[in-house]
Amino acid sequence: MNTATATRYAVKYQAIASALPGQTLPWLQTLRAEALMAFSESGFPSPREEEWRYTNVSAIEKKLFSPSISLPAGSIDAQWLKSYQLQDAWVLVLVNGHFSAELSVLDDLPEAVSVMSMAEALAKQPDQVQKHLGLATAQSEHGFVAFNTAWFTDGLFVHVPAKQVLDRPIQLLHIVTDADIMSTTRNIIIVDEMAEAKVIEIFIGVYSATSSEIVADNAYLTAAVTEVYVGQNADLTLYKMQSESEKAYHFGGSYIKQARDARFTHHNFAFGGLLARSDIHADLDHASECELNGLYLGSKRQHIDNHTRINHLKPYAVSREVYKGVLDDRARGVFQGRVIVAIDAQQTDSQMNNRNLLLSDDAEADTKPQLEIYADDVKCGHGVTVGQLDEKSIFYLQSRGIDEETARNMLTFAFANEMVDKIKIKGLHDMVLEQVLTRFPQEGVNKEWL
Amino acid sequence: MSASEQEIKNLIGKEYKQGFVTELETDTFLPGLDEAVILRLSKVKNEPEFMLEYRLKAFRHWQTMKSPEWAFVKFDPIDYQAISYYSAPKRKENGPKSLNEIDPQVLEAYKKLGIPLDEQERLAGVAVDAVFDSVSVATTFKGKLKEAGVIFCPISEALRDHPELIKQYLGSVVPHTDNFFAALNAAVFTDGSFVYIPKGVRCPMELSTYFRINAANTGQFERTLIIADEGGHVSYLEGCTAPMRDENQLHAAVVELIAMKDATIKYSTVQNWYPGDKEGKGGIYNFVTKRADCRGENSKVSWTQVETGSAITWKYPSCILTGDNSTGEFYSVALTNNYQQADTGTKMIHVGKNTSSTIVSKGISAGKAQNTYRGLVKVLKSAENARNYTQCDSLLIGDKCGAHTFPYVEVKQPSAQVEHEATTSKISEDQLFFCQQRGLSAEDAVSMIVNGFCKEVFRELPMEFAVEAQALLGLSLEGSVG
Repeated sequence: MNTATATRYAVKYQAIASALPGQTLPWLQTLRAEALMAFSESGFPSPREEEWRYTNVSAIEKKLFSPSISLPAGSIDAQWLKSYQLQDAWVLVLVNGHFSAELSVLDDLPEAVSVMSMAEALAKQPDQVQKHLGLATAQSEHGFVAFNTAWFTDGLFVHVPAKQVLDRPIQLLHIVTDADIMSTTRNIIIVDEMAEAKVIEIFIGVYSATSSEIVADNAYLTAAVTEVYVGQNADLTLYKMQSESEKAYHFGGSYIKQARDARFTHHNFAFGGLLARSDIHADLDHASECELNGLYLGSKRQHIDNHTRINHLKPYAVSREVYKGVLDDRARGVFQGRVIVAIDAQQTDSQMNNRNLLLSDDAEADTKPQLEIYADDVKCGHGVTVGQLDEKSIFYLQSRGIDEETARNMLTFAFANEMVDKIKIKGLHDMVLEQVLTRFPQEGVNKEWL
Repeated sequence: MSASEQEIKNLIGKEYKQGFVTELETDTFLPGLDEAVILRLSKVKNEPEFMLEYRLKAFRHWQTMKSPEWAFVKFDPIDYQAISYYSAPKRKENGPKSLNEIDPQVLEAYKKLGIPLDEQERLAGVAVDAVFDSVSVATTFKGKLKEAGVIFCPISEALRDHPELIKQYLGSVVPHTDNFFAALNAAVFTDGSFVYIPKGVRCPMELSTYFRINAANTGQFERTLIIADEGGHVSYLEGCTAPMRDENQLHAAVVELIAMKDATIKYSTVQNWYPGDKEGKGGIYNFVTKRADCRGENSKVSWTQVETGSAITWKYPSCILTGDNSTGEFYSVALTNNYQQADTGTKMIHVGKNTSSTIVSKGISAGKAQNTYRGLVKVLKSAENARNYTQCDSLLIGDKCGAHTFPYVEVKQPSAQVEHEATTSKISEDQLFFCQQRGLSAEDAVSMIVNGFCKEVFRELPMEFAVEAQALLGLSLEGSVG
């Protein structure tokens, strides 16, 4: 069945094969052909694979989404877009997986810094792309990555040279305008030695270009892959907010390679989509630091899966991970977190925490934290909880004259807000908070509390 | 610092004491497995017709199955045709009536193991069923137990004397289709213990089975079935050893526990199969399916295991908490040294309301060993107010070993409270230094720390067994537990 799916998708993609960027680069053609071969053999992952145990993507196979050939003709309401665009940031907009120069804001970039579309990078800096494309994903090959490599239409390319500290964040906005289409994008982010940058990736799919109306329930597929290279003693913070439409399918993988002493922080907000899966896989070098934060809110029939892997390859690295989930209605939240400590990675310090709040009788949480340790001088721990709000806290609030429902909402909100408060960029903080409040399972959280 | 490291090295390098072979005349089947072997096996054991049918059904199903590969263990494929499926000390017609009729060699073997079958001995408070290769050779204190109404006998005897109980309960917790090794066991199991605690009876003494593999090229496939009827209470202990051999031997057992309303079963294991030598040659493959069904309200099952032996241990004593307010517990110490591999843990399936489970797992990994905790806590929608607490700690001794923790938590009920915690660490230089600075030798310090690390589990063991468990741990970590 998988192979059949692969063939069906391959046929669909033949139409745009000649329009994919990088036609003149033989190495890329080879890479794409190899990826296509791998995808034809494996298809999309099945729940029989341990890493996909709780997530069944057969709906994606059945749906057979079509690639979007070029930028959609209709214009996008600038006013609507503004609510997602950060002020004081370099913004790159991808519509249906294609770069829109018109909507992007890439002025005043420091001279040596590259922020451009992947298509442009393939034309202007093919060597840099060749050096990095497929390197960070090498240890995480599965159907979606191969699929993405074979058919990515565009993406973001960032290169921050050594010792350059960016004073503004870079924002990447993914917009999908229509139902049944597929957005397949590939990003490469390179932060050289001692440089510093912040990159924000936002996925939204509520706007229809053709009918100029807001459509919240388009069914489409996003398959995005980001490769991140953090140089020696460099610092990168990556924010991801996934607020796809209610019926969308989302796969977003971030694969990170950290050099010696490199610092990497990831904030993952998973709010939208009918079926959404995130991969965050980081390879750590000597004394690098890695922090992964995540918040997932699920309601209705949503299925949200977060899959993290931290690979301590060398000694003295530190990793911290906190993922929180709030699940309502019939939503299902999945957390799979794996920490691997290699045989030489002595003095590793790793902590992982996953906490889930179940709000309804039909919600489900599946969590699988894993420690795989081959070195002896380490400090590793993980904790998992699944449960309800603390009755004592509710009682305390009630004893202060707050009714029970409000008390519950306050506590649920506080539970989620802890992750939102970690955002250091004001504009983004407010945007994510807004999303949390609108998606909040119950009414009654007063903004004035904040 | 290096001095204390040396001490630790000395501590973990000790020989296996139970590795002797007893020379005996035996009845042994030729290696190989087909329906004819099962027919013969059933005939030798003089089993009722339904049992043979059950075995054949299981065998046919087993042939359609493949050996599972998901565990974190490595071993060469097992040739199931090279194993002999039955081996027993030669005996007179109808089996021994009393201890006097048992082959003195066998008695001697048990004496050497420190398990006297003589009822007057030191462990007088414990009734022992001794299983030697494929058969049970003796069961002590039968009379006293009968007075209380407790049935404690080899399962092959129960098949003849209490077929109705076997028919009702055998395979009801672990069906023959459950997994590869359970299917194999259902087809070829030879002996094991059967315990039935009638309504309202508290078993007057600890029950114990001592499993001994002696013959070469055989596998041991034992089957244990324990039923505690309404209000029944039993504490059961299990111990096992095998001779030192260069070949790997397979031990594929199935244990089924059934606890009815208000019943309690406490099942303790001290597993000390031959672990293989320092180069990882030989040793027992311990692939075991253990599962308990807490069927009645307020029932309770508690698993305690101390795993020190076996080349590979692959088992997950589990509880299905069906009855409302039922409780499942799992306490485990798994110690691996040299090239030993252990993939062990538990499954707690919460079905009934107000069910609770506790998991405390302590893994100690030394030498080049790999020690994995793998556990599942599943709360079904019907399990309102279910409660689970899990704690998994790993201790690493040496820089070539591995310790892994793979818990699975699946919750479908919002009123459930599930907690899981895991830590991995080594005996730190600071701890050692602190102890030594207070006048303890490095050996005593390690002993104290390891002992403290395992304490939560050891205190769950029955008195008689705690002594043995500590002695066993001492075997692998010489005298470090005291």
